[in-house]
Amino acid sequence: MQFEVDMMAPGAGRIIGTEHRLEVIAEDVVFGEGPVWDKRSGQFYFTDICGDTIWKCRPGSRPQVVLQPSSHANGMCMDREGRLLVAGWGGRTVFRFEKDGSRATLASHYEGKKINSPNDIVVRSDGQIYFTDSPGGMLNVGMVGDDLQKYLDIQGVFRITTGGELILVTDDFVYPNGLCFSPDEKLLYVNCSRERLIRVYDVHPDGGVGPGRLFYQYTNPDRGNPDGLKCDVEGNVYCTGPGGIWVHDPQGKVLARMKVPGHPTNLGFGGDDWRSIFVTCVGNVVRTRTNIPGVAGW
Amino acid sequence: MAWKFERVAGPYKGITGGVAWDGSGVLFSAVQEERILRFDPATGSVANFRKYTGRTNGIALGRDGTVYGAQEGGRRVIHFKADGSTAPTCELLDGRHHNQPTDLVVDRVGRVWFADPHNQVAPYGPPVYPFLERGSILRLERAGRAWELRRITDDTSEPRALLLSPDERTLIVAEGNVELGADCDLRSYAIAEDGGVDDCTVLYEFDPGERGIEGLCLDSAGNIIACAGWKKNGAGPLIYVYAPDGELLESHVAPCDLPMRCAFGDAGLDSLYLTAGDGSLYRARGTGRRGVARR
Repeated sequence: MQFEVDMMAPGAGRIIGTEHRLEVIAEDVVFGEGPVWDKRSGQFYFTDICGDTIWKCRPGSRPQVVLQPSSHANGMCMDREGRLLVAGWGGRTVFRFEKDGSRATLASHYEGKKINSPNDIVVRSDGQIYFTDSPGGMLNVGMVGDDLQKYLDIQGVFRITTGGELILVTDDFVYPNGLCFSPDEKLLYVNCSRERLIRVYDVHPDGGVGPGRLFYQYTNPDRGNPDGLKCDVEGNVYCTGPGGIWVHDPQGKVLARMKVPGHPTNLGFGGDDWRSIFVTCVGNVVRTRTNIPGVAGW
Repeated sequence: MAWKFERVAGPYKGITGGVAWDGSGVLFSAVQEERILRFDPATGSVANFRKYTGRTNGIALGRDGTVYGAQEGGRRVIHFKADGSTAPTCELLDGRHHNQPTDLVVDRVGRVWFADPHNQVAPYGPPVYPFLERGSILRLERAGRAWELRRITDDTSEPRALLLSPDERTLIVAEGNVELGADCDLRSYAIAEDGGVDDCTVLYEFDPGERGIEGLCLDSAGNIIACAGWKKNGAGPLIYVYAPDGELLESHVAPCDLPMRCAFGDAGLDSLYLTAGDGSLYRARGTGRRGVARR
């Protein structure tokens, strides 16, 4: 299936190509999220938040259940040892699948209070885990767990140190959602679904960050708010936003908008060459090919 | 006798909505602020009962003091537990998410009856789940630790408020929302042995285009106190008092536009507390009527 792309600046074709095809990877997905490629097994993992399931699939095969019910799990990523990390959303924890298949809770409380609902997650090469803690998993229709009460007065971005300590990275956000590092990990990008913007932070050696700067603010009236966020190896920034996936150069300039049909929620680079883009949507999961590889996962 | 309302709290951002007497204070919703506040008549002070309520409007207490909320923003009835947590109930009617609860009442056996209309403000989250075509009165009841949900009325479209008569054999419903194009009336249904209802009896009809009833409460004689009307047209913003058969006994001028919901309170249960479109909590003391004590 072809799809439309708005080429909005010279050079976009070099990055995302000029032939834009989609292949359906999974259907019957109520609300897809958490796309992550497992380079060790050559499998693709994703969540269906409303369908309350974590899935895996080998492209071309039928998806298999990893966890159901899944506490309405949302974003996912691999850690350095290839263990799947999960932003637990409705379950209000961050958890990890251990090698033996058991699950370990990595974060559930901050300063003695239950955290909100972990939305998306990423790992830094020193092993620290970063996640966004937006409020939607306590409120959204069809996405909540057993306790709907918000206890924290912030919507934080947190990191979990290798020692297991939970540290606030920033409380700048109304609704922090997607997050990713630049290829050199000197920058942390975080988007806000409510304010429809992306902020960028200088990352300190210990993993803390400096003051945030506005990277881009969306004013496009099309349906959709910033959600998934990823970088390619050249530092271009991909954000699911109004009407599709927006591609920005490292300065924030818009290069293109990939108008993936339906409502794309998140994207993940994958495949052996990291040049496939898996896009989770409301209704299905699709894949397209691109020229510049994404930042490789662990 | 005329009721003289005084503002006792607010104004808050947006409207105040649900209101309930908890035995010594008044719980009321600042809907847009996503808070439930508590007014203490002994001190005149206001404190948070709950923050982050997800646009909860209606508030109701069970016999045992359990506090429930009609969470318009999340399309669910929620249970504010004593330990500070908030539990969901059952959000699915025959496998589909119901609409946006706005008012609720708990009966003697702990079943939660609620009005489930559509709302002008969209719910939280991506619009994955379509609305039910009709707004109905629905009822939650316990099934072990879980909840089950049953549809009670099938002749309503936008019910805004509800009551049970003192003997709990009659269901009283304020139907209609002019802002959604649904004409307004006050109606009653006899509750059958199986807990269902048959055809309604219309007790009072508002003129087409007139704002109908947003909130209801009972007095100790079984009369129906109703908050209705607006300055835009019709009889204006009023608090009506109807006999159980719908006879209009009296009406009182509301202290501001868009009266919302009401509840009796204070030591003798003879003050009427009122929420309103201006985001305030009002009180009229010495109404000459008394509320019904929680049994």
